Amino acid sequence: MAWITKNSAGMKVERRSEPYLTPAMRDELTRTVLPRYEQKQGALLPALHMIQHEYAWIPSQAMQEIAEFLGLKAADVLDAASFYEEYWLTPRGEHIISVCRSIACEFCDHKAVTEACKAKLGIEVGETTDDGTFTLIEIECLGSCGTAPAALVNEKLVENATAETISRAIDEARATPHHHNGRH
Amino acid sequence: MPFTPKMTRPILTQRIPTPPYGNPKDRRVISYAAYTASGGYAGLRKAIAMSPDDVVNEVKNSQLRGRGGAGFPCGLKWTFLPKPDANGEGGPRYLAINADESEPGTFKDRLLMDFDPHLVLEGIAICCYACRIQTAYFYIRGEYHHQARVMENAIREAYEHGIFGGTGLFSGASTKNRDTPWKVECFLHRGAGAYICGEETGLLESLEGKRGWPRNKPPFPAIKGLFGKPTIINNVETLAHVPSIIENGAAWFGTMGCESSIKGAPPSYGTKLMGVSGHVERPGVFECDLGIPLRTLVEQYCGGMRKGKKYKGAIPGGVSMGILGPDQFDAELDFDIGRKYNVLGLGTAGPTIFDEDTDMVAVARNIARFFKHESCGQCTPCREGSGWLYQLLSRIEEGNAKSRDLDLALEIATSMGTMSGTTICGLADGNNWAVRTIMNKFRDEFEARVKPTFIPVGITLGGAGLGGTGLQTGVMV
Ligand SMILES: Cc1cc2nc3c(=O)[nH]c(=O)nc-3n(C[C@H](O)[C@H](O)[C@H](O)COP(=O)(O)O)c2cc1C
Ligand code: SF4
Ligand code: FES
Repeated sequence: MAWITKNSAGMKVERRSEPYLTPAMRDELTRTVLPRYEQKQGALLPALHMIQHEYAWIPSQAMQEIAEFLGLKAADVLDAASFYEEYWLTPRGEHIISVCRSIACEFCDHKAVTEACKAKLGIEVGETTDDGTFTLIEIECLGSCGTAPAALVNEKLVENATAETISRAIDEARATPHHHNGRH
Repeated sequence: MPFTPKMTRPILTQRIPTPPYGNPKDRRVISYAAYTASGGYAGLRKAIAMSPDDVVNEVKNSQLRGRGGAGFPCGLKWTFLPKPDANGEGGPRYLAINADESEPGTFKDRLLMDFDPHLVLEGIAICCYACRIQTAYFYIRGEYHHQARVMENAIREAYEHGIFGGTGLFSGASTKNRDTPWKVECFLHRGAGAYICGEETGLLESLEGKRGWPRNKPPFPAIKGLFGKPTIINNVETLAHVPSIIENGAAWFGTMGCESSIKGAPPSYGTKLMGVSGHVERPGVFECDLGIPLRTLVEQYCGGMRKGKKYKGAIPGGVSMGILGPDQFDAELDFDIGRKYNVLGLGTAGPTIFDEDTDMVAVARNIARFFKHESCGQCTPCREGSGWLYQLLSRIEEGNAKSRDLDLALEIATSMGTMSGTTICGLADGNNWAVRTIMNKFRDEFEARVKPTFIPVGITLGGAGLGGTGLQTGVMV
């Protein structure tokens, strides 16, 4: 969510014929999400979560579909989506490892955890493995400071993480196909 | 003076086994059935037999102060809402529950969400009844995946058992002074990884589906909040205190915690969840009286310092608060801490403890990086200042800075924040206090890391115009 200036002018939107926002998602948004908010835009974060949950990232076409569905400008959707760190607007690995680097974790040796991930996956922080299976990032406090160091493997929290436990969690994620890795 | 606890039993953790009252191994998620079987929702039942104003007054009289960081009196905040019309309505108004918990070192609300979700929901229901609110949004940070599932499940249970929705609170039970029941809807709304959405107006923007840019105040949310309507924002732990206050009365709440030792300052009543992290033997969340000295918390609850090392410093409650120095281990953890110990405040009361081996320059750099990363970029002093501070502190840590960089860093820090009147929200104050207090309380560590600054002084030997030689020399400072 840091302050990043992007070159949005002349942005090319890749397209596919099949919509990302499926009829089932539209139905769910209409039935359960939209009635919760006084203004339609309130449903924007839930809609973005839905897309990311399904595809692991948020393609531009999906943002345009959401904009149309909620009666917003595509720019408003991009404006909000690009603000939030959890939303991936470029593709990432199938599994994501997020190691906490904030105060309690750094001073309880989060480095050992990050280094173990780097060694095991052969990538640096911020990179994705060549086969597109894993992305490794470091993030700020996960709200698990009492059991530092902490890391998230997809949606699963690894507390008191060590080189061994994080390595095991990576193996478990690898053995779990996309649709069963905690995202579904 | 040894500290004697005033609380005789756990309040917020009565169903969450927590040392010294219980064993964390015995923790289970408390279902609706288990919650009601152990006396849960009695506070709500009692509340709806009272008039809404009486409920607000009870909370006000308890002097419960917000547990989200600022310590603002909860009941007083509730009275800021515009008065409802004769029908007890007044157009839509909202409650937003702040479960964004993203301040590094803070993990206390999570304990309630993990194990006793209905305690929080009961507090929400009582607040909605008292404040004439019909819609509550539970704003939970995106990374709390498990907690979102637990809360979602508990909200569903609460709907099924007639707490929320349907025909009104308690399946349409009639309420005091009104034949019509009071109906409340409660929805969970997930954030998406932005610390700034914990700031109350950033949170509202995010709920509206926008980037989480804090708003200028006034207008305050109680007048113009979510979707432009009157809105109350409260922290999870604050609301979790409400059921027992209604059940046991305001006076009971004042038997726990402490009076202020500063003349004319409000008291710090009640218990507080304190999440201890860092270099202690047994970190974790404990429920204590407000006013417990940090040393007692560490030595009696956390098994002392890790590996018998010496205490060096501690952040009282989230990195925004600044640091307690080596001579402040006995600081009492209450709402006076800011005025007494030169920190910003109690914050979230989640102390992070550092032992003698800790590099305080690295601590400052870590915190500066956090604020640089999380500044939302709206205000120039915060956006630019946070970046400069991080750069300067990194240079100091690497040994590439000059002594004058220390003064520069302090000057930048001091110029940032709502207190110096240069920013919209309190994030920059946090950055300011963290960097400034660490640099001041551990000044020698910083000085040892920088090179002296060479200040050139020009001296001319011999008379000017008489062919004297110009000589360059200088002083090291
Ligand atoms: C930068 C910033 C971040 C904040 N983050 C949180 C948070 O994560 N949770 C929280 O309850 N309050 C947070 N607050 C405080 C809220 O703005 C607000 O004071 C609080 O939610 C009010 O609830 P309370 O009165 O019950 O404490 C934050 C404030 C600032 C300035
Ligand atoms: S102080 Fe910083 S975080 Fe707060 S509104 Fe200004 S730029 Fe954003
Ligand atoms: S500092 Fe790592 S979880 Fe809080």
